[in-house]
Amino acid sequence: MQDTIEREIHIDAPVERVWSLLTEAEHLGTWFGDAGAEIDLRPGGDLTLSWHNERGEKGRVDHRGRVERVDEPNLFAFRWGRQAGYDEAESTLVEFTLSPADSGTRVRMVESGFASLPGAEVQAWYESHAEGWEIELGHLTEHAGQAAE
Amino acid sequence: MTTAAPAADVFAALADPTRWRVLNLIADSGEATATKVAGKLPVSRVAVVKHLGVLDRAGLVESRRSGREVRYAARPARLEETARWMAGLADEWDARLARLKRLAEAPELDRKPQPDRRKKR
Repeated sequence: MQDTIEREIHIDAPVERVWSLLTEAEHLGTWFGDAGAEIDLRPGGDLTLSWHNERGEKGRVDHRGRVERVDEPNLFAFRWGRQAGYDEAESTLVEFTLSPADSGTRVRMVESGFASLPGAEVQAWYESHAEGWEIELGHLTEHAGQAAE
Repeated sequence: MTTAAPAADVFAALADPTRWRVLNLIADSGEATATKVAGKLPVSRVAVVKHLGVLDRAGLVESRRSGREVRYAARPARLEETARWMAGLADEWDARLARLKRLAEAPELDRKPQPDRRKKR
């Protein structure tokens, strides 16, 4: 099972048109979030994507992120948290690649880094600390197996 | 917006290709010992035991004692739950990209930068 999501679509519109929809706050807040967006379009710039609360409840949820790459008009990448706050160590990377194709635009989206979400750090610590114990356990089991023969 | 993430230790556990192979070998066998698994891989038994520990803690395998042996079996529920969560995220992306496409292809007259007030879930 991969820890990435990849999608590709074709859009009948010029690359520049798709680029502006992808990177301008007034548009991002309509097709990505549904309650607006803010973006500082440069590497390291802040990004906020907002959604209305469910079932018409008042208020909204803001998801924060950080712009990673801006190579107009072909590559746009940002990191964002899968929870409302933003912590780089617990974020996924979203990369959009635009290329001209058949009088329109091919859009490729890759989201990666799910293994870095909360829990994985604990796992890594556990691995490094458990190694010695596992070796001991392995010897014990092997020895016991031999003794049984 | 999204459902809670399953503990990402599943992804961390599966990020190692050898560990992925260990899990598949156990699933194919139904139940296996570390020795049996190591016999089918170009890695040491000690390495296999370490990998089994990671898979066990991620809830991807369970172990039981059989005499002096430890036998491992795959636990499909955790893997299925994670695969379902990822499929849900992929569906969200499909919906977003469909909205982007619709917006990009809209006729000139409709191209006004105003928020879409329809709820899209």
